Amino acid sequence: MTSSLHATPSASSTLAVEARHLVKRYGDLEVLRDVSLEVPEGSVTSIIGASGSGKSTLLRCLNLLERPNLGELAIADEAIRFDRNPQGDVVGLDRRQLQRLRAKVSMVFQQFNLWPHFTVLGNVTEAPMRVKGLSRRRANALAEHYLERVGMADKRDSYPAYLSGGQQQRVAIARALAMEPRLLLFDEPTSALDPERVSEVLSVIRGLADEGRTMVLVTHEMAFARDVSDQVVFLDRGVVGVAGTPQDVFEDSEHERCRHFVAPAVC
Amino acid sequence: MDFSWLADPFYQEYLLEGFVNTLWLVAVSAVGGLILAVAVAMARLKGPRPLAWFAHGFTTVMRGTPLLVQLFFFYYGVGRLLEGIPGIQDSLIWPILRDPFFYGALTFILSVGAYSGEVLRGALLSVPPGEREAGRAFGMSPFQVFFRLWLPRAVQLCLPTLTGEMILLLKSVPLVSTIALMDLLQAANIIRDETFLVYEPLMLIAGIYLAMTLVLTVVLRQVERHFPGMQPTRHRWLPIRGKEQAPCKN
Repeated sequence: MTSSLHATPSASSTLAVEARHLVKRYGDLEVLRDVSLEVPEGSVTSIIGASGSGKSTLLRCLNLLERPNLGELAIADEAIRFDRNPQGDVVGLDRRQLQRLRAKVSMVFQQFNLWPHFTVLGNVTEAPMRVKGLSRRRANALAEHYLERVGMADKRDSYPAYLSGGQQQRVAIARALAMEPRLLLFDEPTSALDPERVSEVLSVIRGLADEGRTMVLVTHEMAFARDVSDQVVFLDRGVVGVAGTPQDVFEDSEHERCRHFVAPAVC
Repeated sequence: MDFSWLADPFYQEYLLEGFVNTLWLVAVSAVGGLILAVAVAMARLKGPRPLAWFAHGFTTVMRGTPLLVQLFFFYYGVGRLLEGIPGIQDSLIWPILRDPFFYGALTFILSVGAYSGEVLRGALLSVPPGEREAGRAFGMSPFQVFFRLWLPRAVQLCLPTLTGEMILLLKSVPLVSTIALMDLLQAANIIRDETFLVYEPLMLIAGIYLAMTLVLTVVLRQVERHFPGMQPTRHRWLPIRGKEQAPCKN
């Protein structure tokens, strides 16, 4: 049977994310096999791993773009328990709770996913206005603030099609920040960028980490992950291979495949 | 060439009435048809299975049968059936049900709904799913995602095709002259019957149709040009996306 605990603060209220024994399968393919993850408030967690290890799936479970089949998840004061259900339906997680949770967790996508029919400003104000009910005036002020923050204020009236990939991704970051989320998720934010555009996006993300925002990022930028993270999680075929400080994962790990995976970044 | 009949106020009135009816019919059918098109496209994409099948069947029938046959079917068939319902002739809606305009508009709405519904379905499918996912990820409701993000983008993608559909609609209107509705062709027919002039009235209404098409084209071109996020160059209306996409994902 499936049930949901109501929005009770978890035992240690300093955790932004508390995932327990998450399982996600697509048919017979088990992408996540019993993954647990804790993200303290104000910390940066990087999820690394080979293709198909379940990194993106785990990240997408954190704002329920993917629904785990099993396990417990407590995110930003919303606690949900997933249970055996052949359809993967989450009984007890009503749409209201889902939308409330998503309003507190913002996501930055690999392919930016900006809305091409809105201007830069429109992209940033849309969710605060529609989801949080802000007035246009307040949403605009908020948007201008965060566009300034990512260095895109002068492009506020441009359409996304006129921007470079790096600029689009910075707008996408401003869009995520404008929701003033408790938790920021980054799904390979630089993988779709030309090499010379990567640094402009990474420096924005680094700035956010320095501000003490709670972030979880999936990335292939090993040096960056090592540098910016408080916690690194190496996912291996749907389970957590190694988790710990960057030092633990990049240097002291005994895990064979992890050592092999991070080797190019270490030398 | 004898255009002296143009001075006759009776003929002027027929032509004016035909012109006004044509405009009304196009306007009503375009608005009603496009709303129906959204419903048909959504029913086929997201509706429960029976509804999706019904929408599919509807499109197949409407696109697979001649418009003139449909017009006759509704006017002579459905219209006569309604006539037989006891008491209906005294009801308030009878003046509408008796009017050939109603059957013309009904036929065109269903036709536009079927053709444009398929156009829209294709366009909805070609909007990158990531855009909808972004909406959901920020907590937008399914309703908001559809009307704020998905539908506007689909319309943006198929606007030139929809423009073509509207021009075809305009030029389907003369068919209603067969159900005793005073459109431009009907006016021309009356003038021909009374003056024994065949070509002159036809040339006149052909000219009026050409002018209406040109106006419609210019108006719709402006709509296309000013649609938010559209590329300014004529052949580059597809937004450039994924330009910096890495050769392999993940």
